[in-house]
Amino acid sequence: MTVALEYEPVLLTHPGRTAPVSLSEYQAEGGYVGWRKALEKMTPDQVVEEVKASGLRGRGGAGFPTGSKWGFIPKTPGAKYVAVNADESEPGTFKDRELIEIEPHRVLEGIALCCYAINAETAFIYIRGEYVEPADRLEAAIAEAEQAGILGRGCLGTQVNVRILVFRGAGAYICGEETALLESLEGRRPMPRSRPPFPAVEGLYRRPTVINNVETLANVPAIIDRGSGWYNSIGIPPRNTGPKIFCLSGRVNRPGNYELPLGAVTVRELIDDCGGGVIDGKAVKGVLTAGVSAPILSSDKLDTKLDYDSIQAAGSMLGSASLIVLDEDTCIVRSAALMEEFFRHESCGKCTPCREGTSWLHKILTRIEHGRGVPGDLDLLLSLSGEISGKVLCALGDFATSPVTATVKQYRGEYVAHIEGGRCPFKPW
Amino acid sequence: MPLSATTRAAICQLVEQYPERRTALLPALKLAQVDMGYLPRETIAETADLIGVPHSAAYELVTFYSMLHDERVPPTVVVVCAQLPCALRGADALVRDLQDGLQREIATGAVEVERTSECFGACHRAPMARVNDRYRENLDGPARKQLIQELSTA
Repeated sequence: MTVALEYEPVLLTHPGRTAPVSLSEYQAEGGYVGWRKALEKMTPDQVVEEVKASGLRGRGGAGFPTGSKWGFIPKTPGAKYVAVNADESEPGTFKDRELIEIEPHRVLEGIALCCYAINAETAFIYIRGEYVEPADRLEAAIAEAEQAGILGRGCLGTQVNVRILVFRGAGAYICGEETALLESLEGRRPMPRSRPPFPAVEGLYRRPTVINNVETLANVPAIIDRGSGWYNSIGIPPRNTGPKIFCLSGRVNRPGNYELPLGAVTVRELIDDCGGGVIDGKAVKGVLTAGVSAPILSSDKLDTKLDYDSIQAAGSMLGSASLIVLDEDTCIVRSAALMEEFFRHESCGKCTPCREGTSWLHKILTRIEHGRGVPGDLDLLLSLSGEISGKVLCALGDFATSPVTATVKQYRGEYVAHIEGGRCPFKPW
Repeated sequence: MPLSATTRAAICQLVEQYPERRTALLPALKLAQVDMGYLPRETIAETADLIGVPHSAAYELVTFYSMLHDERVPPTVVVVCAQLPCALRGADALVRDLQDGLQREIATGAVEVERTSECFGACHRAPMARVNDRYRENLDGPARKQLIQELSTA
């Protein structure tokens, strides 16, 4: 595949590396040039406008335009905050971890630029508690940059202050939901807030707050350094610009992070050319593109381009671009039961439909997988899903229904075979 | 047993770091857990007092987060990720091998082996496990044997 071979990475510029890129190495490769440029030659508004013009969309999953999000922050006096979402917990997602582990300064530069753009002096990096080593590396990189006068008080000899704090979570997927993340930072149970007010108006400590994903912010240094025009030359403007890290996992020969322009390759090309194809040359049964949080794409959709709009047109979501590949020997019912077990475990319990519904979905899927399903179960799964989706405060409840509804609709025959045969027709994994 | 003087001092220092005191509650509970090994009621209360929040505010965090424990845990806890990407790459067999290979340690309470539906963000290096707070990845073949050997001699 020529695209993957010719593309020069912007975010993960050291493939295969295991040690973090040091401050001096990062600077030797053009690091913090964008930060200096912003501080010396650009106003905060110009930074916001440049990011808007780049077309950068949030890489955490929702794909919301980043520049617009920054533009929502009111210009009124008083404290403003940046909260960096590093609570990477979506099954199949491991891109922010690699960015933090290998390119911590790229992430920090992006955070500093966001702080400058919205006039915030304090940023929190909310990192999942299990990422002990990545969090240690972030703290080491912050200390390096502060010692060099790049971050901290009076950044690069200016009046601008940027204080970046690493805040370690303690094991809860819901903290990746932006308002739950704020609750967690405030020392409360991380249960999503009802909106409005939105965080741009009333976020952390009831002050205007931008919440961005790690990969989103890692895109910003290059946008400021090289300009939005250059950024628009990557991907498919205007709605699918820039590089994207695709996390490839499941039944492929070479799982891993692959950075490519949005829309440059199809699902099939990513699996075959980057991932080395399916293990044992098996056929693909389906691919989850947004971890377990969006409908599965069946094998007839493998020629869909990997960008926000194409995946949406095919009936799913790009989300965090976490592609989990299921081969022909994979039992769909067992897969759905595993995914639902995740949501049952991670539901925060605030909204009854999600708290109770995920538990029942999991129970019903498990009984079907174990050969104890009854004829009405499929209708029951679909009606129960309908009682959860759209009736909860945050997206977790909606996400929790897609492993069920999409698989029941697209692989109904497999469910029926389990129920009628009284057992799972597949070999154990 | 009260928290050590060092932990109390570290918690008081934490409070100074943040715009609002209560932000220090979760990091403080984690420090307290490192000190005591787990979070008994009196430790939760002591931590809450240091931060200046009701005991219930601290208790509701302890019972929510999976990394906080209000009961004693074995010295070595092995948690195998068995969510879909890892399950597709042999997580179940890893759980079985660990349980078989560490029968004695499990029986004496030195080691606990559990599977989880949580994803640890290591799907490209599956199968994997968290051993206390460190990741052990690509646990097939020799790496799996080595881990079992390490934990059996521990």
